[in-house]
Amino acid sequence: MEIPILKIEEFLIVSFQTELSDQEITKLTEEMLEKIKKTNAKGLIIDITALRIIDSFMARCLSSIADMATLLGARTVVVGMQPAVALTLVELGLRIKWKIQTALNLERGIALLRTVMRSEKDSVYE
Amino acid sequence: MTEMEELTEELSGLLENNAGELKKQWVKEMTEMRLLEKLTPVEIEQQSSAIYDTCVMTIKTGMYEAAKKYAREMAKKGVLEAMTVDQIIMGMLKLRDVYGRFIFSKYKDDVEKLYKVLGIYEPIANRILNIVALAFVEERERVIKEQQQAMLALSTPVLQIRDQILVLPLIGTIDSARAAQIVEQLLNSIVDTQASVVIIDITGVPVIDTSVANHLIKTIQAAKMLGADTLITGISPANAQTLVTLGVDLSMMTTRGTLRSGVKLADEMLKPVVVEKR
Repeated sequence: MEIPILKIEEFLIVSFQTELSDQEITKLTEEMLEKIKKTNAKGLIIDITALRIIDSFMARCLSSIADMATLLGARTVVVGMQPAVALTLVELGLRIKWKIQTALNLERGIALLRTVMRSEKDSVYE
Repeated sequence: MTEMEELTEELSGLLENNAGELKKQWVKEMTEMRLLEKLTPVEIEQQSSAIYDTCVMTIKTGMYEAAKKYAREMAKKGVLEAMTVDQIIMGMLKLRDVYGRFIFSKYKDDVEKLYKVLGIYEPIANRILNIVALAFVEERERVIKEQQQAMLALSTPVLQIRDQILVLPLIGTIDSARAAQIVEQLLNSIVDTQASVVIIDITGVPVIDTSVANHLIKTIQAAKMLGADTLITGISPANAQTLVTLGVDLSMMTTRGTLRSGVKLADEMLKPVVVEKR
Protein backbone atom coordinates (compact mmCIF):
# COMPACT_ATOMS: atom_id res chain seq x y z
CA MET A 1 0.00 0.00 0.00
CA GLU A 2 1.27 3.41 -0.98
CA ILE A 3 1.34 5.87 1.90
CA PRO A 4 1.51 9.52 0.89
CA ILE A 5 4.04 11.79 2.56
CA LEU A 6 2.55 15.25 2.64
CA LYS A 7 4.46 18.46 2.93
CA ILE A 8 3.08 21.55 4.64
CA GLU A 9 5.36 24.55 5.06
CA GLU A 10 8.58 23.05 6.33
CA PHE A 11 7.07 19.94 7.85
CA LEU A 12 6.30 16.50 6.50
CA ILE A 13 3.17 14.66 7.57
CA VAL A 14 2.72 10.91 7.35
CA SER A 15 -0.57 9.37 8.39
CA PHE A 16 -0.84 5.62 9.03
CA GLN A 17 -4.29 4.43 8.07
CA THR A 18 -3.91 0.69 8.59
CA GLU A 19 -1.60 -1.66 10.42
CA LEU A 20 1.57 -2.00 8.39
CA SER A 21 3.60 -5.11 7.76
CA ASP A 22 7.25 -5.10 8.75
CA GLN A 23 8.36 -4.72 5.14
CA GLU A 24 6.01 -1.82 4.56
CA ILE A 25 7.37 -0.01 7.60
CA THR A 26 10.94 -0.50 6.44
CA LYS A 27 10.10 0.75 2.96
CA LEU A 28 8.20 3.72 4.34
CA THR A 29 11.13 4.62 6.58
CA GLU A 30 13.40 4.85 3.55
CA GLU A 31 10.89 6.99 1.69
CA MET A 32 10.47 9.35 4.61
CA LEU A 33 14.20 9.84 5.04
CA GLU A 34 14.62 10.46 1.29
CA LYS A 35 11.85 13.02 1.36
CA ILE A 36 13.31 14.80 4.38
CA LYS A 37 16.61 15.04 2.56
CA LYS A 38 15.01 16.21 -0.69
CA THR A 39 12.70 18.84 0.81
CA ASN A 40 15.03 19.85 3.59
CA ALA A 41 12.12 19.51 6.04
CA LYS A 42 12.58 20.70 9.59
CA GLY A 43 9.97 18.47 11.14
CA LEU A 44 8.31 15.10 10.67
CA ILE A 45 4.85 14.40 12.03
CA ILE A 46 3.70 10.81 12.20
CA ASP A 47 -0.04 10.45 12.75
CA ILE A 48 -1.08 7.14 14.31
CA THR A 49 -4.67 8.02 15.23
CA ALA A 50 -6.01 5.13 13.18
CA LEU A 51 -3.74 2.48 14.70
CA ARG A 52 -5.40 0.33 17.36
CA ILE A 53 -2.37 -1.89 17.83
CA ILE A 54 1.31 -1.07 17.95
CA ASP A 55 3.63 -4.00 18.46
CA SER A 56 7.15 -3.79 19.78
CA PHE A 57 8.64 -3.83 16.26
CA MET A 58 6.52 -0.88 15.21
CA ALA A 59 7.42 0.98 18.40
CA ARG A 60 11.11 0.38 17.82
CA CYS A 61 10.78 1.54 14.22
CA LEU A 62 9.07 4.77 15.26
CA SER A 63 11.85 5.35 17.75
CA SER A 64 14.60 4.75 15.21
CA ILE A 65 12.88 6.86 12.55
CA ALA A 66 13.00 9.72 15.05
CA ASP A 67 16.71 9.18 15.64
CA MET A 68 17.48 9.00 11.91
CA ALA A 69 15.40 12.08 11.14
CA THR A 70 17.26 14.00 13.83
CA LEU A 71 20.51 13.17 12.05
CA LEU A 72 19.02 14.72 8.93
CA GLY A 73 17.97 17.80 10.86
CA ALA A 74 14.27 17.10 11.33
CA ARG A 75 12.39 16.82 14.64
CA THR A 76 9.87 14.00 14.92
CA VAL A 77 6.52 14.16 16.68
CA VAL A 78 4.13 11.24 17.00
CA VAL A 79 0.52 12.40 17.23
CA GLY A 80 -2.86 10.86 18.03
CA MET A 81 -1.88 7.79 19.99
CA GLN A 82 -4.89 5.84 21.30
CA PRO A 83 -5.22 5.30 25.07
CA ALA A 84 -5.11 1.53 24.71
CA VAL A 85 -1.95 1.77 22.64
CA ALA A 86 -0.27 4.01 25.19
CA LEU A 87 -1.19 1.59 27.97
CA THR A 88 0.20 -1.38 26.08
CA LEU A 89 3.45 0.40 25.34
CA VAL A 90 3.86 1.40 28.97
CA GLU A 91 3.12 -2.14 30.09
CA LEU A 92 5.72 -3.38 27.62
CA GLY A 93 8.19 -1.09 29.34
CA LEU A 94 9.11 0.66 26.12
CA ARG A 95 8.97 4.11 27.57
CA ILE A 96 12.58 3.93 28.72
CA LYS A 97 13.86 3.58 25.18
CA TRP A 98 11.15 5.77 23.72
CA LYS A 99 12.43 9.29 23.35
CA ILE A 100 10.09 10.61 20.67
CA GLN A 101 7.97 13.61 21.43
CA THR A 102 4.24 13.08 21.38
CA ALA A 103 1.22 15.32 20.94
CA LEU A 104 -2.51 14.81 21.22
CA ASN A 105 -3.39 15.72 17.64
CA LEU A 106 -1.98 17.07 14.40
CA GLU A 107 -2.62 20.67 15.35
CA ARG A 108 -0.77 20.37 18.67
CA GLY A 109 1.99 18.46 16.91
CA ILE A 110 2.61 21.33 14.52
CA ALA A 111 2.48 23.82 17.40
CA LEU A 112 4.98 21.72 19.33
CA LEU A 113 7.38 21.58 16.39
CA ARG A 114 7.14 25.34 15.92
CA THR A 115 7.95 25.94 19.60
CA VAL A 116 10.91 23.59 19.48
CA MET A 117 12.25 25.17 16.32
CA ARG A 118 11.80 28.67 17.67
CA SER A 119 13.72 27.91 20.84
CA GLU A 120 16.49 26.35 18.78
CA LYS A 121 16.65 29.42 16.56
CA ASP A 122 16.80 31.65 19.62
CA SER A 123 19.70 29.75 21.07
CA VAL A 124 21.57 30.10 17.76
CA TYR A 125 21.07 33.85 17.69
CA GLU A 126 22.15 34.40 21.28
CA MET B 1 -45.83 -47.91 49.72
CA THR B 2 -42.35 -48.78 50.94
CA GLU B 3 -41.33 -48.81 54.54
CA MET B 4 -39.33 -45.60 54.09
CA GLU B 5 -42.28 -43.77 52.63
CA GLU B 6 -44.50 -45.01 55.38
CA LEU B 7 -42.06 -43.87 58.03
CA THR B 8 -41.64 -40.48 56.34
CA GLU B 9 -45.37 -39.97 56.37
CA GLU B 10 -45.61 -41.08 59.95
CA LEU B 11 -42.84 -38.69 60.96
CA SER B 12 -44.25 -35.68 59.17
CA GLY B 13 -47.67 -36.51 60.57
CA LEU B 14 -46.26 -36.61 64.08
CA LEU B 15 -44.47 -33.29 63.56
CA GLU B 16 -47.61 -31.69 62.17
CA ASN B 17 -49.82 -32.92 64.99
CA ASN B 18 -47.44 -31.74 67.68
CA ALA B 19 -46.64 -28.47 65.93
CA GLY B 20 -48.01 -26.21 68.65
CA GLU B 21 -46.08 -27.82 71.46
CA LEU B 22 -42.82 -28.18 69.55
CA LYS B 23 -42.94 -24.62 68.28
CA LYS B 24 -43.50 -23.33 71.77
CA GLN B 25 -40.55 -25.35 73.01
CA TRP B 26 -38.38 -24.02 70.16
CA VAL B 27 -39.31 -20.37 70.71
CA LYS B 28 -38.70 -20.79 74.43
CA GLU B 29 -35.22 -22.18 73.88
CA MET B 30 -34.36 -19.44 71.41
CA THR B 31 -35.60 -16.79 73.82
CA GLU B 32 -33.41 -18.24 76.53
CA MET B 33 -30.42 -17.90 74.22
CA ARG B 34 -31.45 -14.28 73.50
CA LEU B 35 -31.67 -14.92 69.79
CA LEU B 36 -34.99 -13.16 69.32
CA GLU B 37 -34.36 -9.84 71.02
CA LYS B 38 -34.77 -7.75 67.89
CA LEU B 39 -38.10 -9.28 66.91
CA THR B 40 -41.60 -8.41 68.13
CA PRO B 41 -43.84 -11.19 69.52
CA VAL B 42 -45.96 -11.08 66.36
CA GLU B 43 -42.89 -11.47 64.20
CA ILE B 44 -41.67 -14.37 66.34
CA GLU B 45 -45.01 -16.12 65.95
CA GLN B 46 -45.12 -15.57 62.19
CA GLN B 47 -41.51 -16.45 61.50
CA SER B 48 -41.36 -19.52 63.69
CA SER B 49 -44.61 -20.88 62.20
CA ALA B 50 -43.35 -20.26 58.69
CA ILE B 51 -39.99 -21.91 59.33
CA TYR B 52 -41.56 -24.80 61.18
CA ASP B 53 -44.10 -25.45 58.42
CA THR B 54 -41.48 -25.18 55.70
CA CYS B 55 -39.32 -27.75 57.46
CA VAL B 56 -42.19 -30.20 57.95
CA MET B 57 -43.21 -29.64 54.35
CA THR B 58 -39.70 -30.43 53.19
CA ILE B 59 -39.57 -33.63 55.25
CA LYS B 60 -42.97 -34.64 53.90
CA THR B 61 -42.33 -34.01 50.22
CA GLY B 62 -38.57 -34.32 49.96
CA MET B 63 -38.61 -31.17 47.79
CA TYR B 64 -36.21 -28.42 48.74
CA GLU B 65 -37.52 -25.65 46.48
CA ALA B 66 -39.76 -24.12 49.15
CA ALA B 67 -36.95 -24.23 51.70
CA LYS B 68 -34.56 -22.57 49.26
CA LYS B 69 -37.02 -19.84 48.41
CA TYR B 70 -37.80 -19.18 52.05
CA ALA B 71 -34.12 -19.15 53.00
CA ARG B 72 -33.37 -16.61 50.29
CA GLU B 73 -36.15 -14.34 51.50
CA MET B 74 -34.98 -14.72 55.07
CA ALA B 75 -31.40 -13.94 54.04
CA LYS B 76 -32.49 -10.76 52.31
CA LYS B 77 -34.51 -9.69 55.31
CA GLY B 78 -31.86 -10.72 57.80
CA VAL B 79 -29.11 -8.86 56.06
CA LEU B 80 -31.27 -5.78 55.66
CA GLU B 81 -32.34 -5.66 59.27
CA ALA B 82 -28.85 -6.38 60.54
CA MET B 83 -29.82 -9.67 62.17
CA THR B 84 -26.64 -11.63 62.47
CA VAL B 85 -26.11 -14.82 60.55
CA ASP B 86 -25.03 -16.27 63.84
CA GLN B 87 -28.50 -15.73 65.31
CA ILE B 88 -30.33 -17.33 62.43
CA ILE B 89 -28.04 -20.34 62.20
CA MET B 90 -28.22 -20.88 65.96
CA GLY B 91 -32.00 -20.72 65.70
CA MET B 92 -32.06 -23.34 62.96
CA LEU B 93 -29.72 -25.59 64.94
CA LYS B 94 -32.07 -25.27 67.89
CA LEU B 95 -35.02 -26.34 65.75
CA ARG B 96 -33.00 -29.36 64.67
CA ASP B 97 -32.38 -30.21 68.32
CA VAL B 98 -36.05 -29.83 69.21
CA TYR B 99 -37.11 -32.14 66.40
CA GLY B 100 -34.35 -34.59 67.26
CA ARG B 101 -35.29 -34.83 70.89
CA PHE B 102 -38.96 -35.19 70.03
CA ILE B 103 -38.23 -38.06 67.65
CA PHE B 104 -36.04 -39.69 70.24
CA SER B 105 -38.70 -39.52 72.95
CA LYS B 106 -41.36 -40.88 70.57
CA TYR B 107 -39.38 -43.89 69.40
CA LYS B 108 -37.20 -44.56 72.42
CA ASP B 109 -38.87 -47.93 73.04
CA ASP B 110 -38.17 -49.22 69.54
CA VAL B 111 -34.49 -48.61 68.86
CA GLU B 112 -34.53 -50.18 65.42
CA LYS B 113 -37.34 -47.92 64.25
CA LEU B 114 -35.64 -44.93 65.88
CA TYR B 115 -32.56 -45.54 63.74
CA LYS B 116 -34.63 -45.70 60.60
CA VAL B 117 -36.54 -42.53 61.39
CA LEU B 118 -33.33 -40.71 62.23
CA GLY B 119 -31.94 -41.97 58.94
CA ILE B 120 -34.75 -40.18 57.16
CA TYR B 121 -34.75 -37.09 59.32
CA GLU B 122 -31.04 -36.29 59.65
CA PRO B 123 -30.05 -35.87 55.98
CA ILE B 124 -33.04 -33.61 55.43
CA ALA B 125 -32.29 -31.50 58.50
CA ASN B 126 -28.63 -31.18 57.47
CA ARG B 127 -29.56 -30.18 53.98
CA ILE B 128 -32.00 -27.54 55.22
CA LEU B 129 -29.30 -26.04 57.43
CA ASN B 130 -26.93 -26.10 54.51
CA ILE B 131 -29.46 -24.27 52.34
CA VAL B 132 -29.98 -21.61 54.99
CA ALA B 133 -26.27 -21.01 55.52
CA LEU B 134 -25.61 -20.86 51.79
CA ALA B 135 -28.45 -18.40 51.26
CA PHE B 136 -26.87 -16.07 53.78
CA VAL B 137 -23.41 -16.31 52.32
CA GLU B 138 -24.76 -15.68 48.83
CA GLU B 139 -26.74 -12.69 49.98
CA ARG B 140 -23.68 -11.20 51.70
CA GLU B 141 -21.58 -11.73 48.62
CA ARG B 142 -24.17 -10.09 46.45
CA VAL B 143 -24.28 -7.03 48.70
CA ILE B 144 -20.49 -6.82 48.84
CA LYS B 145 -20.19 -7.07 45.06
CA GLU B 146 -22.78 -4.36 44.58
CA GLN B 147 -20.98 -2.06 46.97
CA GLN B 148 -17.63 -2.69 45.32
CA GLN B 149 -19.03 -1.79 41.95
CA ALA B 150 -20.66 1.33 43.30
CA MET B 151 -17.38 2.35 44.91
CA LEU B 152 -15.38 1.77 41.74
CA ALA B 153 -17.77 3.91 39.76
CA LEU B 154 -17.63 6.69 42.33
CA SER B 155 -13.96 6.60 42.97
CA THR B 156 -12.38 8.36 40.04
CA PRO B 157 -13.92 11.58 38.85
CA VAL B 158 -11.92 13.38 36.19
CA LEU B 159 -12.61 17.11 36.33
CA GLN B 160 -11.94 19.58 33.57
CA ILE B 161 -11.09 22.92 35.15
CA ARG B 162 -9.73 24.79 32.11
CA ASP B 163 -9.90 24.21 28.38
CA GLN B 164 -6.77 22.11 28.51
CA ILE B 165 -6.36 21.18 32.17
CA LEU B 166 -7.79 18.10 33.86
CA VAL B 167 -7.75 17.44 37.59
CA LEU B 168 -7.90 13.92 38.96
CA PRO B 169 -8.38 13.91 42.73
CA LEU B 170 -7.53 10.48 44.13
CA ILE B 171 -9.07 9.46 47.43
CA GLY B 172 -8.57 6.28 49.39
CA THR B 173 -6.24 3.37 48.94
CA ILE B 174 -5.24 2.37 45.45
CA ASP B 175 -4.98 -1.31 44.56
CA SER B 176 -4.12 -2.65 41.14
CA ALA B 177 -7.74 -3.07 40.03
CA ARG B 178 -8.44 0.53 40.86
CA ALA B 179 -5.16 1.73 39.39
CA ALA B 180 -5.99 0.08 36.08
CA GLN B 181 -9.40 1.70 36.08
CA ILE B 182 -7.89 5.10 36.90
CA VAL B 183 -5.38 4.94 34.04
CA GLU B 184 -8.02 3.90 31.57
CA GLN B 185 -10.44 6.58 32.59
CA LEU B 186 -7.79 9.27 32.63
CA LEU B 187 -6.44 8.39 29.19
CA ASN B 188 -9.91 8.36 27.70
CA SER B 189 -10.69 11.72 29.28
CA ILE B 190 -7.48 13.16 27.86
CA VAL B 191 -8.48 12.11 24.38
CA ASP B 192 -12.07 13.24 24.84
CA THR B 193 -11.23 16.70 26.13
CA GLN B 194 -7.92 17.10 24.27
CA ALA B 195 -6.35 18.30 27.49
CA SER B 196 -2.62 18.90 27.51
CA VAL B 197 -1.99 19.07 31.25
CA VAL B 198 -3.28 16.65 33.89
CA ILE B 199 -3.01 17.32 37.60
CA ILE B 200 -3.23 14.24 39.80
CA ASP B 201 -3.96 15.26 43.36
CA ILE B 202 -3.13 12.58 45.91
CA THR B 203 -3.96 14.47 49.10
CA GLY B 204 -6.60 11.83 49.87
CA VAL B 205 -4.36 8.81 49.39
CA PRO B 206 -3.33 7.69 52.88
CA VAL B 207 -0.44 5.42 52.02
CA ILE B 208 1.85 5.48 49.02
CA ASP B 209 4.04 2.43 48.62
CA THR B 210 6.14 1.18 45.74
CA SER B 211 3.20 -0.34 43.91
CA VAL B 212 1.14 2.85 44.08
CA ALA B 213 4.18 4.84 42.98
CA ASN B 214 4.67 2.45 40.06
CA HIS B 215 1.06 2.87 39.05
CA LEU B 216 1.50 6.64 39.13
CA ILE B 217 4.63 6.43 37.01
CA LYS B 218 2.88 4.23 34.47
CA THR B 219 -0.04 6.64 34.34
CA ILE B 220 2.30 9.55 33.72
CA GLN B 221 4.15 7.67 30.99
CA ALA B 222 0.96 6.65 29.23
CA ALA B 223 -0.39 10.22 29.40
CA LYS B 224 2.91 11.50 28.03
CA MET B 225 2.58 9.15 25.07
CA LEU B 226 -0.74 10.68 24.24
CA GLY B 227 0.89 14.09 24.44
CA ALA B 228 -0.27 15.31 27.85
CA ASP B 229 1.98 16.38 30.71
CA THR B 230 1.16 15.25 34.23
CA LEU B 231 1.71 17.05 37.52
CA ILE B 232 1.43 15.38 40.91
CA THR B 233 0.21 17.48 43.81
CA GLY B 234 -0.60 16.93 47.45
CA ILE B 235 2.10 14.48 48.51
CA SER B 236 2.07 14.59 52.30
CA PRO B 237 5.35 14.95 54.23
CA ALA B 238 5.00 11.41 55.56
CA ASN B 239 4.47 10.05 52.07
CA ALA B 240 7.41 12.04 50.71
CA GLN B 241 9.55 10.44 53.38
CA THR B 242 8.38 6.92 52.56
CA LEU B 243 8.90 7.42 48.85
CA VAL B 244 12.47 8.60 49.29
CA THR B 245 13.23 5.89 51.84
CA LEU B 246 11.83 3.26 49.49
CA GLY B 247 14.11 4.59 46.79
CA VAL B 248 11.33 5.18 44.27
CA ASP B 249 12.70 7.14 41.32
CA LEU B 250 10.44 10.11 40.87
CA SER B 251 12.76 12.13 38.66
CA MET B 252 10.27 12.06 35.82
CA MET B 253 7.43 13.40 37.94
CA THR B 254 6.72 17.09 38.23
CA THR B 255 5.39 17.66 41.73
CA ARG B 256 3.91 20.58 43.61
CA GLY B 257 2.84 20.79 47.22
CA THR B 258 -0.77 21.81 46.78
CA LEU B 259 -3.41 21.57 44.12
CA ARG B 260 -3.43 25.37 44.01
CA SER B 261 0.22 25.67 43.06
CA GLY B 262 -0.27 22.79 40.63
CA VAL B 263 -3.01 24.67 38.82
CA LYS B 264 -0.83 27.76 38.75
CA LEU B 265 2.04 25.84 37.19
CA ALA B 266 -0.28 24.27 34.64
CA ASP B 267 -1.55 27.71 33.67
CA GLU B 268 2.01 28.86 33.14
CA MET B 269 2.81 25.81 31.04
CA LEU B 270 -0.08 26.65 28.75
CA LYS B 271 0.77 30.34 28.30
CA PRO B 272 1.52 31.14 24.67
CA VAL B 273 5.20 31.79 24.10
CA VAL B 274 5.79 35.40 23.22
CA VAL B 275 8.70 36.00 20.94
CA GLU B 276 10.16 39.29 19.87
CA LYS B 277 10.10 39.89 16.16
CA ARG B 278 13.56 40.12 14.75
